[in-house]
Amino acid sequence: MSTLALQQQTLLGALLRGPGNQAARDAQARLQSLVLEPSSRGLAAYRANGHALAERALGAAFPVVRALVGDDSFGALARAFWHRHPPQRGDLVCWGSDLPGFLADDPQLADVPYLADTARVEWALHRAAGAPDADADPASFALLTQQDPGALTLRLAPGTAVVRSSFPVASLINAHLGDAPPMSEVAARLHHREAEQALVWRRAMRPLTRPCETGEAALLDVLLHRRSLVSALDAALATNPGFDFSVWLTQAVRDGLVLGACPGDERTAAIQP
Amino acid sequence: MTATAPMPASRSHRGPDVGIGWRHPHYAALLERRPAMDFIEVHSENFFVPGGAALAVLREGRALYPVSLHGVGLSLGSACGVDPWHLDQLAQLVDAIDPVRVSDHASFARGALDSDPGSGLVHGTDLLPIPFTREALDVLCANVQQVQERLRRPIAVENLSAYLRWRDADLGEPQFLAELTRRTGCQLLVDVNNIFVNALNAQLWGDGADPLDACRAWLDAIPADRVAEIHLAGHIHCGDIVIDDHGSRVCPEVWSLYRHAIGRFGAVPTLIEWDTDVPPLAVLLDEAARARAAGRRAPRTPVATTGAVAAGAAPARSLQARADLRSMELAR
Repeated sequence: MSTLALQQQTLLGALLRGPGNQAARDAQARLQSLVLEPSSRGLAAYRANGHALAERALGAAFPVVRALVGDDSFGALARAFWHRHPPQRGDLVCWGSDLPGFLADDPQLADVPYLADTARVEWALHRAAGAPDADADPASFALLTQQDPGALTLRLAPGTAVVRSSFPVASLINAHLGDAPPMSEVAARLHHREAEQALVWRRAMRPLTRPCETGEAALLDVLLHRRSLVSALDAALATNPGFDFSVWLTQAVRDGLVLGACPGDERTAAIQP
Repeated sequence: MTATAPMPASRSHRGPDVGIGWRHPHYAALLERRPAMDFIEVHSENFFVPGGAALAVLREGRALYPVSLHGVGLSLGSACGVDPWHLDQLAQLVDAIDPVRVSDHASFARGALDSDPGSGLVHGTDLLPIPFTREALDVLCANVQQVQERLRRPIAVENLSAYLRWRDADLGEPQFLAELTRRTGCQLLVDVNNIFVNALNAQLWGDGADPLDACRAWLDAIPADRVAEIHLAGHIHCGDIVIDDHGSRVCPEVWSLYRHAIGRFGAVPTLIEWDTDVPPLAVLLDEAARARAAGRRAPRTPVATTGAVAAGAAPARSLQARADLRSMELAR
């Protein structure tokens, strides 16, 4: 290893290793031999900046998780996460995909069992916000009456994703970020562990979530894998024999969830969360 | 530019182009009020996403003003090299925005956390200092050249405010930067507040030099004709350390150093940075007006390079010629 690589590894270790652990103490001791004194105040300044950036970046991506645990606890979580799962890219917008698992593994959060799923939906919303733009193409729906639906698929909105949860997390997020449903109603459903499939998509520039029923979730799962409309309908009807595709499509187009129809081999605009 | 685009502020005077850092709290206000401004600056990484509202806002801003793309995460000084993903994102943004300048820092953040080659690389999300050694200069030059070749244009590299000082040093910071620009054809972005913060911290750590004298000597050692942009910002004195927090007005000492800088560098485009506790847009515009007023006496072109760099470290003519050629090629 070159001298420069060793210097950089030492500083990164002193900065990112969890406070109090032996690896951090070793890195700090090595760093002291490489930099001029005083060094502890400078290192603390860098660490404080890293912590502040972590809190700000994760707070922007996970506003409801932050509201659920409170600012102080969220700050501690963000700092711990920064040390445990440090960023790998120079763009903090990309950082946070591991937070749901990190929350699920934290025994101190066992009394908030819906927190990890809330984070999963918020991460999908965060990804949807920056997903590639895609325009609606209403004229393309004529294909549905002109061509074999086995050869067609639907173009979904940027960032479309379905997150399954044992808790009503889409409703919980909407109760926090908007006015509906009322928080009291969501609290009761949380208490009864009402499962929800959270649908995430972006309408124009606005990421949205809402609960979706099982047939719709099955349909979207298939479409997200870029398979044909016939396969998607089969999956929806197998899950919910009462699924009404034409009613669903009318509403989905109105909501900006479905942008158009296209041959089945064309990539949809959706991204996987 | 659209028919209703704001007039560049510099048309009415002979001073430098002046811009402000355009941050989230002012996205809407700037687009609505369209104040006279020569350019706006954004952090490149905030717009690496392929779509969505942020990128749409930047496109609107670009329709009104020239944009300076300033990076904070390229990690040009990393021994492990520049992240190809990061460079891809930057190249796409440059293609989309056609910026007036592209810049980042003489710093590192990317590297290995331990010696296990399978452990992957991390990013320290900060502008961490690199030693002013020949080895670090070679790495920085190679990374800067890689970026310039990919972007097909010269970039400007900024001096840091550093809170740690490596023991290893073969060069002073201005000489290090002068060598960098000579070898790569890159430009320099001189952050006047950063050199004053470093001088204040050096004083706190026992350096006997007068901070203003030290800063003037630093500025005098920089090759004037390579400076493409100047940054001005505020800092906070915490008692035991001075932090470059970009959270207040430019202090009188930095204004004084700015006048010294543009006396040497000429009417170089100048940016007001404010990233913490961002005030109303009017405050930033007021700071920009002060920079414009201070710059009216600046020469239009840089004065001849003097001091240590010109006397002691003048590049071999053939090397300089190669650097100039490379620079021209990249600028096409």
